Formats: sequence, structure tokens, C-alpha cells
Amino acid sequence: MIMRPGQQLLLPANPVFIWGSLLLALLVNMLPLGRTAWLPDFLALALVFWSVHQPLRVGIGAAFIFGLAMDVHQAALLGQHALAYTALSYFAITIHRRLLWFSVPSQAVQVLPLFVAAHAIELAVRMLAGGIFPGWTVFLTPLIEAVLWPVVSVVLLVPQRRAPDPDENRPL
Amino acid sequence: MPLGTLDRTPPPFFRQGASALSKLMVCGALALFLMVADLRFRVAQPVRAIVATVLYPAQWLALRPVLLVRYGAEYFESLKSAQAGEDAARRKLTQQSQRANQVEQLAVENERLRKLLELRQRVTAPGQAAEVLYDTADPYTRRVVIDKGMAQGIEAGSPVLDESGVLGQVTRVYPLVSEVTLLTDREQAIPVLNARTGARSVAYGDPSSRGGSLELRFMAGNSDVKPGDILTTSGVDGVYPPGLPVARIEKVERRADSGFARITCSPQALVDGARHVMVLSPIAARIPPRPAPEDAAASAKKGARK
Repeated sequence: MIMRPGQQLLLPANPVFIWGSLLLALLVNMLPLGRTAWLPDFLALALVFWSVHQPLRVGIGAAFIFGLAMDVHQAALLGQHALAYTALSYFAITIHRRLLWFSVPSQAVQVLPLFVAAHAIELAVRMLAGGIFPGWTVFLTPLIEAVLWPVVSVVLLVPQRRAPDPDENRPL
Repeated sequence: MPLGTLDRTPPPFFRQGASALSKLMVCGALALFLMVADLRFRVAQPVRAIVATVLYPAQWLALRPVLLVRYGAEYFESLKSAQAGEDAARRKLTQQSQRANQVEQLAVENERLRKLLELRQRVTAPGQAAEVLYDTADPYTRRVVIDKGMAQGIEAGSPVLDESGVLGQVTRVYPLVSEVTLLTDREQAIPVLNARTGARSVAYGDPSSRGGSLELRFMAGNSDVKPGDILTTSGVDGVYPPGLPVARIEKVERRADSGFARITCSPQALVDGARHVMVLSPIAARIPPRPAPEDAAASAKKGARK
């Protein structure tokens, strides 16, 4: 097994946790916080994370389905988020073998273009379909999402970082 | 260490499934198809309705924390501001009560006069109250979601009012909720009548300004429009009942380089903060059908002769 030096051996991922975290991200995205263009897309973050870490479980099909759910919830053009998430998941799967060789901050720099591409797809589609330009804050969203990447990598890997043999010194 | 403790499983050797690129192609094509179907052919509504029904519990759940914060804030609102609000409401009620009491009498009188003149009776639109659940998160449009849907008999195209004027129009109906496009959306237009001069025109949504406004297009540069004029629905469209307040004219720019004036109006309804709204049913069902055009064949022959 070839790994980055200093990388921790992880427990197997629990499918219930993977799908639970994706559903939770969908719920967080669904919080009716008004019409703010710069809010980070937590579902996109979770999808990229799991596409990188568990490409055999979470892939392009799941991204498409979640994208459709977001489209209907936001009353957006049907297929807009689906297309963006599909592209996001595809690029994540393309870079998944390389990405985990880097430290988490440099991973954040490398996933930034993915988020930029996803939001550019959404913006281009909506501008072509005759939408209103949502303001310049929309360009902040990919940056915020890249900044959140280290946080997400810590939070979503917590269950896999538990001790394999818990005793009273290490209960978790 | 027992087996299966580590996350590293070898990738499957033979059962590889479709490649990522082919999946991207299929899903991307499907998304593009859905977009075109939604935008051009309007055939994606069943897909939307199904997904919306599946999502309804999640939406209900996601709404809880926001409602909790909103109602919590209201609960801790000081007694004083509540009393001030009640005072203002009572004052408004007193002001309106006189006019409201006369309405019955005026309605009877109007009916008699109309009978006398052999005019058609005014149509009244039955309505039902609804509550705005949330603004849609899509920053490219201006829409809100209300808590009544197909199950409560809401129809697409119904006008939606709040207490001070027209708010918008129902554009999509789901089984349990429906979407209302606000007047300030770019694709929304409403036929209006200037209450002072009686001139009819059409107001278009203009979301570019802050908070959103409406624009009265194609009014001649010398037309009689003044800031402060109230625009009401004209009732010629078969959707909105006549006489509902729509907007107030804010600014009239008469430009030398164009034959038209640039007229900006602010909506009377609270497009950003309405919570309780009325959904009327469209009056089109109760107005007589449009008279049939003249004999098409005859007019074609006439055209050919010329």
C-alpha cells in the first residue's frame, strides 16, 4: 500500500455516514436563508469530498440526482445544478488519485478550479436562459467553498479516524 | 488487527462499470435535455412535481429552524413595539372602516346602474389566504413559495395579492406548495391603468435596481405621467381583476435621444417581505370568450386580390 508519508491509516467508511452526510448537506442547502448569491454550496463540497475519497460509492449518478433535487428546491432551471454537479463529480473522480498525495491546504488550492468551473457552468447556463445577473458576490462562492475544504476534510473523516480497537483509554 | 479494519480495498478487477467519461456524457446530455425541455417545451413539469413531492418532507424540516428563529424573535419582541403595531393597525382600520361600510351600498348601487345601462356585471374573483414559506434561493429569478398547492385548488396563472397591492402571479403549482413569480422578476409583465389619467399600459419587472422595481415601457416622451401616480390593474388581461393597486410612479426621465420616456415605478406590495397573501382565481373563466375572428378564408382572398 503506497501512501503519502505521515498519512494516517483510516477505518473503512460507513455507507450510512456517507449518505447521511450528503443528505445533511442537502438539508443545510435547503435552509431558507433568502436570496444570497454568495452562500457556499455545502452539497457541492460534500459531493466533491466523497467523490475524491470514495469514488466507488459516490459518483456521477448520485451527483446528478442531488443536482435535480437542488434544482427543484431552488425553483431554478431544471438540470442546471444537475449539470454543474455532474461536471464537479467527474473532475473530482479524475483528480482523486493525485489529490490525496498533497497536504490538506494544497488540496484546497487544487479543488478551487473545480468549484470555479461548477459555478461558471451555472452562471453561463442561466445567463443564456435569460436570468438576472446576481451580482459580483457570486464570484466569492468558489473561494469560500475552497476555504471550507480543510474543515470538511476534518469533519467528514472523523468517524474513520477512530481507534480500531477502543479500550478505556481510547473510548472512541 | 482484524481484517477489514483498513479503508484500503483493492479496486474491482473485472466489474469496473461504465467509465467516468461515459457517465459524464450521459448525465450531461440528460441535464441539457431537461434544461431545453424546461425552458422551451414546458414538458418537465411532471418531473418537477415528482421531485418536489419527494423533497417536501426535507423542505418542511429545513424550514423548522428558520421558523423557530423568526417566531422566537417575535416572542421576545418587546411589549412596547407590539402595542405600537396594534395602535397603527387600529388607526388604519378606523380610516378604512368608513370606506368599507360604504362599499356594500356602492356595490348595490353599481349593480343597479349597470343593469340600467345594460352593461355586463363586474366579475368577482374568489380567493384564498396563503402564507409565504420562503424566497427561492435561486439568485437569477425573483420568486417566492407559498404553502398552498394543487391539493388546495390553486391554479397556475392565479394573481397573488398582499394587503397593499398585487404581489405577483402563480407560475408553478406543485401538489402541496406553489411558486409565485414576483412583479419585479424580469419575465413578469402586468397590464396597468394609470388611475389619474386612465391611460393603459404594461409594466415590466426590472430587478436590476436594489430591491426591485417595475418599468413602464413604450410610453411616449410627452405622455401625461407624473411621479406619484398610482397604477392599478386594468382588467383587460383576463387574469387580474380590475382596480387592484400595483405600483406608484417614482421617476420619469424624458430623454431627448429617444421617443420614449424611461419610467420607473415602485411596487405597492411588499415584494421583499410579504408573509400573508391572497391567491385569487383567474377571472378568465368567468369572462365571455373572445369573439371569433372574421372569416379567415374571406380575408385571405381579400389579401390575395390586393
